[in-house]
Amino acid sequence: MSVTPEDVRHVARLAELAVEEADLPALTAQLDRIVSFVAQLEGAGASGPDASVAAPNGTALRPDLVNPRPLARPPAAFAPEFIDGFFLVPKLGVMDES
Amino acid sequence: MSAGEAAREVGQRLRAASRLNATLAWSDAALEAEAARVDAMPVPGPLHGMPVAVKDNIVTTEQPTTCGSRMLAGYVSPFNATVTDRLRGAGALIACKTNLDEFAMGSSTEHSAYGRVLHPLDPDRVPGGSSGGSAALVAAGVVPAALGSETGGSVRQPASFCGVVGVKPTYGRVSRYGLVAFGSSLDCVSVFGRTVSDAQRVLASIAGLDPLDATTVDQPPLETLPGPASLTGRTIGLPREYFPPDLHPGVKAGCDAAIARMKELGARIVEVSLPHARFAVPTYYILAPAEAAANLARFDGARYGARVTVEGDIRAMYRATRGLGFGAEVRRRILTGTYVLSAGYHDAYYNRAQGVRARIAGDFALVFASGVDFLFTPTTPTPAFKAGEKTADPVAMYLADVFVCSANLAGLPAVSLPVGRSEGLPVGGQFMAPHFQEAGMLACAATLERHLDATREVAR
Repeated sequence: MSVTPEDVRHVARLAELAVEEADLPALTAQLDRIVSFVAQLEGAGASGPDASVAAPNGTALRPDLVNPRPLARPPAAFAPEFIDGFFLVPKLGVMDES
Repeated sequence: MSAGEAAREVGQRLRAASRLNATLAWSDAALEAEAARVDAMPVPGPLHGMPVAVKDNIVTTEQPTTCGSRMLAGYVSPFNATVTDRLRGAGALIACKTNLDEFAMGSSTEHSAYGRVLHPLDPDRVPGGSSGGSAALVAAGVVPAALGSETGGSVRQPASFCGVVGVKPTYGRVSRYGLVAFGSSLDCVSVFGRTVSDAQRVLASIAGLDPLDATTVDQPPLETLPGPASLTGRTIGLPREYFPPDLHPGVKAGCDAAIARMKELGARIVEVSLPHARFAVPTYYILAPAEAAANLARFDGARYGARVTVEGDIRAMYRATRGLGFGAEVRRRILTGTYVLSAGYHDAYYNRAQGVRARIAGDFALVFASGVDFLFTPTTPTPAFKAGEKTADPVAMYLADVFVCSANLAGLPAVSLPVGRSEGLPVGGQFMAPHFQEAGMLACAATLERHLDATREVAR
């Protein structure tokens, strides 16, 4: 197994993740290292998923009920203004782009 | 001591421990408000006045929840996690939010956007991860207990490195509502304590069915049993795959001493085999990144936290925000997870790993059905490693979880407790138990804890 820079570009597109060209060689080498490592499962003898689930109660489903839970802050605190059919929401955070 | 006095004391201790970089959000005012709430409770709860630190991937309405990521800088949740509601209901004080590997991905707490956490005994070493901030605060004596979370050993591994107790409950024992999702089939809110008893009390207070998490299981309340006087009648299995020839001599000596003490206390010790144990780490590093890639898709600049504004369409904004907002390890996991789920690779990686996961769980079921009550193993292959030692090679870092991640894959409860020191660094031993057998497992751990001097140097 060997991961190519094109593979990394492809999965980065699928994952909606910007990857700088300068980071590509290192990222390709790391992903290749990880994928080669996990590929040792080929020797584990299991080929496909097993119906048994590790969770002690199997796959639990909750009743399909609408059960709204009160929020600590009412919706009006998130979206205090409504203009031209759009909610105006406060800016949640600013990422330092430096 | 009143809750007010406890709050003032924990404030002083948090200030004194600031060099560890273990906290992300706390304030004297928030502590005072917590104390006033506790002192006003008409009936003292089982954790009355106990300060408990909370890992910063568990949401609280009073402080930001950043998950150690730039992506969630300044994010404040509009609701509380079930576990924090339950801690408060039991009379605990939420002391602070603690630093962690970004989105709980890491084994050293070096992968936080807010800087690495220092090991309390040696600032050049890591406290383990990803719940390193919680572990360091308990080890430094700032709080008697803390919440962390486990996806693949992220409480037991740092507990072992820092010389404290770390308990991972059965998957389904504790609600995940309000725990920011990483690998949903593996994630467990877990507990640190200075002693088994402290961890046991906190776990009992947060456990139980929650209608807001469909994976919680209706079980009788978790009993907090005292450690019995002897271990007569108990069968402890030692899985040979967990004692490899190259095990660190200090770790081996610590575990050997604990095993000898359990024998003296009357336990029957038997060697057992978990033949698929060697596949646990590669299985984990397929399934956990696959689930993470899906869970972290929601952090896109539109719904939570910060946004990077760029020229182009909305996908350009997603890519720029995620590219800048996530750190190196989270990016690697998202790319790995997307790769193993992508067309052409899904069967070879993801489906195969699901099959191996079932076999790993099956190994445990067979051993427990053969009459073994609990398994005992080292928690980690080495004591705490140096900062920077494993950051260049992600796989070397992943192998720090080799003895802990099986319990997550099989959904089993497990506890790490200190069993000695090697060159001054703590060494941990681990018990694993069948599903929902936490009470008996913790009682056994409490007995061993009482009969071990965990600060004793055990290495050659």
